[in-house]
Parts: sequence; structure tokens; C-alpha cells
Amino acid sequence: MTLTYEPGGSLAHGLDPRSKLAVQVAFATAALVYTTPRGLAALTGLVAGMLAAARTSPLWALRELRFVLPFVVTAPLLEGATLGSPWFVAGDAAAPALASYRIVLVLLVTAAFVRSTPVRDTRAAFQWLVPGRPGQFLGTGAALVFRFLPVLQADVGRIRDAHRSRLGDERPLAERISLLSVAAINRAFRRADRLALALQARCFAWNPTLPALRFGRRDVPALALAVGLSAAALHGAV
Amino acid sequence: MSDTTTSDVDLVGDEATLNIARAALFAALVGAFAYVSFPFPGTPVPVTLQVLGVFLAGILLGPVWGGAAMVLYLAAGAAGAPVFSGGSAGLGILLGGKSSFGYLWSYPVAAALIGAVTHGGLELLDTDEIPVGRMVAGMVAGTAVIYALGAAGGMLVNDIGVRTAMVQFVLPFIPAEISKMVAAVLVVLVDSIRAK
Repeated sequence: MTLTYEPGGSLAHGLDPRSKLAVQVAFATAALVYTTPRGLAALTGLVAGMLAAARTSPLWALRELRFVLPFVVTAPLLEGATLGSPWFVAGDAAAPALASYRIVLVLLVTAAFVRSTPVRDTRAAFQWLVPGRPGQFLGTGAALVFRFLPVLQADVGRIRDAHRSRLGDERPLAERISLLSVAAINRAFRRADRLALALQARCFAWNPTLPALRFGRRDVPALALAVGLSAAALHGAV
Repeated sequence: MSDTTTSDVDLVGDEATLNIARAALFAALVGAFAYVSFPFPGTPVPVTLQVLGVFLAGILLGPVWGGAAMVLYLAAGAAGAPVFSGGSAGLGILLGGKSSFGYLWSYPVAAALIGAVTHGGLELLDTDEIPVGRMVAGMVAGTAVIYALGAAGGMLVNDIGVRTAMVQFVLPFIPAEISKMVAAVLVVLVDSIRAK
């Protein structure tokens, strides 16, 4: 799993993290309101633009998300399946299929964000929004969640694969869930221990000198996009 | 030139560093659990594991850091990390964009409550010292909070009455919740868990 920040000189790298977060929030909200074929087609174009702005190949990003994709593909299949003739009702599968496609779009936007934004920048944006110790905690913590979500998703995917290949899916439900959780939690705690050690070794402080946040001229289109998407979402929701 | 001098540096203590790392990783884990669904025999709704994550956050991290982990989960989701059920994200969801938003707001409260009941206060017990009865009592209380707020959210967004809310937002999930409680107890009783 290599879905992590990579230094670069792309347009997205040069944006203020606050603009990027604003675009993400607005995008996720708009995608939720416009989960229709036309809405999602328009948003797909936007995602292509965002990936290009972060110089991230869509195929590479999809490969990084491969452990999430089974979940996204099976939901509409399960929903459309019936226990008798005609076996598959396309109408029932349409809504979940659109929702699944929306998830992929939002995940791709996150991939572009993670690729082009260092954790420190996300933290600085949060601390700008929420002052004081709570902001410092939220900033550090939320930035780490962004960083580790794809890692833990991959962990859980691998654990499920391993269980399935050993016929673990024939055990009772509670037992399956607990086996999965024990393995996933152990890995998460092991990662947390290593992370804590690495943070201490680098003088993890409440008040590091964070990158200075400055809106530049390139942020104007990004902020306009965020405002536009929010307005469209609000318009569609009312 | 930087304005920072060494005397200004406010280092995060060793214990707090570990707790912040664990809270963040747990929040990410609950996000990853949102993608795991098991078909549950007898009900049409598949079981996702987020609520199990809430149970375990309270039990393994305790009332303070378990609750904090869930606050991080909501903050990251609001900022656009796809951690909410079905991979959704965004501030809009927390503000009522989906009828399930009530559940989300209940998670920090529920995790803190479960932690407080399980550990009998703010001091953490070792996982092998936790009485199973108190753990179950904590999870039952936490589940009550989650479903009360979940149903309240549904009533607000879908404009429905208490009875419909119970049928739509509470009753179908009860059997699955019991499985998750059993799973949580099994998880904590397994010796190999590394949490202390």
C-alpha cells in the first residue's frame, strides 16, 4: 500500500490545505445529493480533473483501493439478486450501484488529497479552524486517520482473504466477527505502538512550527469550486 | 529563520503520545470496519462492524480515549475521509444529510459510557481483570444510547413517529447487536490481544 503523501510540484500540491479540505467536504456532500446517473457523470469529470491536478493516475489510484472494491461491487449484486426467477432484478440493483459508484468517486478524491497533502498541512488546517488544545488534538488525530484509513482497510481485506481461503466463512457469525476483530485490532495496536515510538523519536510536540497557511491566486478556482459544489448541494437538497 | 526556541517546545508526554496514536488508529479502524459487512441470517440488513468498533473503543481504550477516538472518527469523516457507513463522508452527513446521522453523533457518548461502566470510572483496569458482567452491562447501556439517538435522528430527518422509527431504525438491528456483543466479549477474553 503506497497511498501516502508524495512530494511534487503539481497544481494540487501548491494549493492551501484549507481549500483542498473545503473541496473535499463540498464534493462528498454534492455526491450524496446528486446520486443520479447525470449527477455522477458530471462529478466523474470533476474527479478526472482533480486527479490530473494532483498528477495521480486513476488506474494507479484504483489499484490502491482494490481491497475496498469487492464491497462496492457486491452490494448492488446482492441487492438485485432474488431467490427465484428472474434471479436478478436490474431495477433493485440500480440505486445501490449508483451509491457504490459514488463511493468510488469519493475515495478517488481522498486519494488525490492524501497524495498531494502532507499530514502536517492537514493538521495546520484543523488547528486554524479549531483553536487551542482541542484543535491540536483534532488536527493531529484527523490527519493520522486520513493517513491510516487505507492502510487499515488493506489490513482488514487481507485478513478476510486469509480467513476465506481457510474456510473461515463457514464458522458461526459471532466467531467470525471476533476472529477478524482480534487480528485487525492487534495489527492496529502494533501500528499504533510503532507510530508512537516514531513520533517520540521526532519530538512530537503540541506546538510544532506548522507550515504557514496562505491563500494564493491558485486557491481562487479551488475555493470557487467548493462554493459552487456546496451551493449545488444545498439547491438539490432543498 | 524560525521563531521557535527549544524552551517553547511543549512536548507531548509518552503516555499521551501512545494514547493519541491508539485513538487515531482506532478511529481509522472503525472507518475500515464500515466496509466490512456480513450477511446476517434472518434479516435483510447486512451487519457492518462499526458499532463493534465503538464497543471495543470503550472497552480497550477506556472512557476518555475511547470517546476521543470516536470524536476523531467524526472529525475525519466530516473533513472528507470516507469512514461513515457505506463509504460516505462529508460534513453534510453529520448535519443530517442521511437519516442515519443520529447514530454517528451517539458514538463518542456511547464509547465513553461503555468505557466508564466497564472500568468502573476513569481508571483503566487490565483487560483480564474486567468482569464480563460489567462489560456486557456497559455495552447494553451503550447500545441503548446509540439506538435512542439513531431513532431520534431518523424521526427528525424522515419526519416519522416513534413507532415507525423503532421498526426502521432499532428492531431489525437488535439480533445483530447481540452477535456483536458476543464477539466483543470473545475479543477481550482472547489472551492474544495486545491492549493493556
